[in-house]
Amino acid sequence: MTAPTPDEKVAAPKPPTPKFVMPVPVLNRSNGRLIEDRFSTWPQRIFDSKWSLPSYRFGAAMLVAIAAALYATGWLVGELSTRGEQAYSLIFHYGASYGLSPLSVGVIWIALKVIAVLLVILVNGLWSIWWERKISAHIQSRVGPTFAGSPKGRNFHGWAQTPIDGLKLLLKEDITPAAADRWVHALAPAIVIAPCIIAFAPVSFGSQLAAANLDIGTLYIFAFAGISVIGVVMAGWASGNKYSLLGGLRAAAQIVSYELPRGFSIVPVLMFAGSLNLSVIADAQTGFWWGVVPKWFVFYPVVGQIAFAIFLIASVAETNRTPFDIPEAESELVSGFHTEYSGMKWSIFFLTEYAYVLLGSFLLATFFLGGGGAPLPYAPFLLVPSWLWMLAKALLMMFVFLWIRWTLPRLRADQLMDFTWKFLLPWCFANIALAGLYLAFWLKP
Amino acid sequence: MIGYFSTIARNSKAVLQGHWITLKYMFKPSVTIHYPDEKLVPFERYRGALLFDAATCISCNLCVKACPSNCIALENAKNETGKKIAKVEWYSIDFGKCNFCRLCEEACPTKPKSVWHSLDYEVIFVKRDEMVRCWKKDFPFVGKYFDRLAQTFNDPQGQVNIHEVQPRRN
Amino acid sequence: MSNQVTNAPSNSPVKTDQLFINLGPQHPSTHGVLRIGLTIEGEIIIKAVPDVGYLHRGTEKLAEVRGYHHCVVLSDRWDYVSAMPNNLVFCLAAEKLLGVKPPPRADALRVVMCETNRIASHLLFLGTYGIDLGAFTPFLYAFREREMILDLFEMLCGARLTYNYIRLGGVMVDVSPEWTARLKEFVEYFKPRLDEYDTLLTYNPIFMSRTKGVGLISAKEAVDWALSGPNLRGSGVNYDVRKHEPYCGYEQYDFDVPLGETGSCWDRYFCRAQEMRQSLRIIEQALAKLPEGPFMATGVAKIPKPAAGEAYAHVEASRGDLGIYLASDGGISPFRMHVRAPSFANLAILQEKLTGMKISDVIALLGSTDIVLGEVDR
Repeated sequence: MTAPTPDEKVAAPKPPTPKFVMPVPVLNRSNGRLIEDRFSTWPQRIFDSKWSLPSYRFGAAMLVAIAAALYATGWLVGELSTRGEQAYSLIFHYGASYGLSPLSVGVIWIALKVIAVLLVILVNGLWSIWWERKISAHIQSRVGPTFAGSPKGRNFHGWAQTPIDGLKLLLKEDITPAAADRWVHALAPAIVIAPCIIAFAPVSFGSQLAAANLDIGTLYIFAFAGISVIGVVMAGWASGNKYSLLGGLRAAAQIVSYELPRGFSIVPVLMFAGSLNLSVIADAQTGFWWGVVPKWFVFYPVVGQIAFAIFLIASVAETNRTPFDIPEAESELVSGFHTEYSGMKWSIFFLTEYAYVLLGSFLLATFFLGGGGAPLPYAPFLLVPSWLWMLAKALLMMFVFLWIRWTLPRLRADQLMDFTWKFLLPWCFANIALAGLYLAFWLKP
Repeated sequence: MIGYFSTIARNSKAVLQGHWITLKYMFKPSVTIHYPDEKLVPFERYRGALLFDAATCISCNLCVKACPSNCIALENAKNETGKKIAKVEWYSIDFGKCNFCRLCEEACPTKPKSVWHSLDYEVIFVKRDEMVRCWKKDFPFVGKYFDRLAQTFNDPQGQVNIHEVQPRRN
Repeated sequence: MSNQVTNAPSNSPVKTDQLFINLGPQHPSTHGVLRIGLTIEGEIIIKAVPDVGYLHRGTEKLAEVRGYHHCVVLSDRWDYVSAMPNNLVFCLAAEKLLGVKPPPRADALRVVMCETNRIASHLLFLGTYGIDLGAFTPFLYAFREREMILDLFEMLCGARLTYNYIRLGGVMVDVSPEWTARLKEFVEYFKPRLDEYDTLLTYNPIFMSRTKGVGLISAKEAVDWALSGPNLRGSGVNYDVRKHEPYCGYEQYDFDVPLGETGSCWDRYFCRAQEMRQSLRIIEQALAKLPEGPFMATGVAKIPKPAAGEAYAHVEASRGDLGIYLASDGGISPFRMHVRAPSFANLAILQEKLTGMKISDVIALLGSTDIVLGEVDR
């Protein structure tokens, strides 16, 4: 083979050269910091000397600062519920001065509450997806997304990643497969998310901070959460291929089967609290045993722990998360029910999953962790308002959801059915019997 | 009966132990390199992109025979009387075929070696022409590529140098 | 995936459709480009046809036009995940043809490199098998440790995947005291990690229920289908080339060969996890008694021309029994080189084992055979 030698060539008239402009790589910030000592990157060097790493110290300091800022905010803002009454009467008088009838003031008030609940779900979509990526990254000894939302030189842990991803999904092409039923395909995401938003109505975000203080709150939540299954089946059907349909049916079977232990594991809690109203259940957990141990239902010997564990497992299964994520597992053979969705329709499925995770976290916090109540009866704990405690407990439970996802492998479809029907459900019934014994001999209703 | 409860206990314990491990690692710092803000400098013997020094080469063709992928080509220089001298007229390596095995560097008999691996791993080619690097007298170590459309020797466009001085082996 | 519905008659009274589905060649699970054509009826697989050749690069033909030193570079790319045993087996066969005997230090270094590479390869298997079954974290942990091994190899021979280190007559370059110190550091770091992997994956109840009792291969079947490596030992057959026909001085090292009991996916996985521990033992012993001396034999020509003849050499590679058949006619290139790739033979049992299984077990079985397509297709 030869290489060209232009010295000996006859100079021919040059053709016009197309000017090639190298695209500037966006992330190529000059040469970067060169790491000379390769063995400083070895894990045991980093793990053993973690406090000597400036980035670790900075990260820990940031966490402490954020926690302190949240505490200060909560203390400054104060108890929203007392302000709630004032706000309502303010709007009432303001509206009356403009000639609005009390009915329309009531309507405006309800509209504000609806918007607040919607905001909770949307902001949760932003927050929990970012948190999941960070938590999963740190569990796996890496950092998550770092580039989005970072000005030159300083990254804020990629806080803007989720909004940017959401924007990208909005701009994506909306593809409906040709073999699909167009209307069913379009309606399925709506039917999945609408009951989820509705189910958030009686959830109490603190003491007296529920959008609708229903006496049948618990039943209402479980009823509406179950309607989403129809949307899942519709999504599987509307994809037009047999294996998406089977995936959708399998997901529906899983969700419906796990609703049973979810409902039955709550029965002891309802028996102890005496009501389906979420605020009443949360209030039934006030008080302290021996002055230090809070009377949360999770601390009730045996019954509380079993109910907590079963409700946690059932909630994880309801939201199709690992270890129960056969419906959406990519490395399995069967395609999931949402493979034929793109763009905003898919992101609705995604948001619903995280909204149900949030719902499950709030329910866990309300039923078992005494939502809104402080864990210790001392001054610094009592100063924090109830909505902040509720949020902290719900986020702790969400962390448990994420933790479980990134630790355990996946259960096979028939194994997870076996698990619920042959293991969880009998233990639920045994738990109810045990709770009955408690009520008969120990607790006074 | 006892087996049932002991199975539950054993499985729960195993699951919780796994969770403890992941929790432990969550609080440990990350071990990843944040490229491109941080770049690793490879070891001394790393087989990066090849460099060539036309001044030390004696045009012995040992590297051409040692290459398993037939990617090196060279032509002997001639002096004024037309006799071949121990210098190279031009030398080219086709990086599309090179598999970075170091057989050419090991075969080179000069001290210091005329062809050697640099520590450069960010080897980027923007055009197909750029993959054939050519060296003539007084070209830099990195070489130039011959743009067939423009019929000129151009500096490599995609090359990003990590080190100022590329180490040479004796 | 393409789905073609064929109304084939079935034996059951209920008329069901058979569906043809392609598993691959693009996989979410990283086994390479393998295509398995599955004919499914409901949940059960009726027929499975593995289709290979997507990564065929013609190594055996290329070897006929390359010199012997050049073929070492070719050998790196068969089982690219663990390249040292590939180099080794080719050099053993070529050394038999040439009549060259490597010095003892070279043998010991070869053993150290192959065992370290076995650890790296099994770490990759562990990680990817976890991901197949839904455990996302052990993958990252395994790769974190694998990075350390790759750093060591980079320090030694300059490349992280295709080493070209074991040459005809010895090894390419000697190890420095710093390198052995780092390797010992890695060994000490790695031992508690193995216990962590056991807790996270091996003895995890969900993992065990996914893999125990799945894909049972009896000892007779394993021998009939010419399985090798941990696939064979998982079924209880005690055959390890390192023990039966030792090469490179393996007889002086004291190590066990882990065996499985029932031949389930878990047994094969467990064999590999235990093999990592045994590899650590071998590395420690080899480093302790590393003999002094030259690392390359004298008398190996720059362009070797062996006399006419043929040679066969086989080693216990990470995937099984890797063998090379070399025939020479006196020229500078081999007349014929054939690679007996373990993954190619291990893959064949899939067409029998997959029939009658449920879909959800396919991934578990496929992952546990631990194939690398570079070897299968060469």
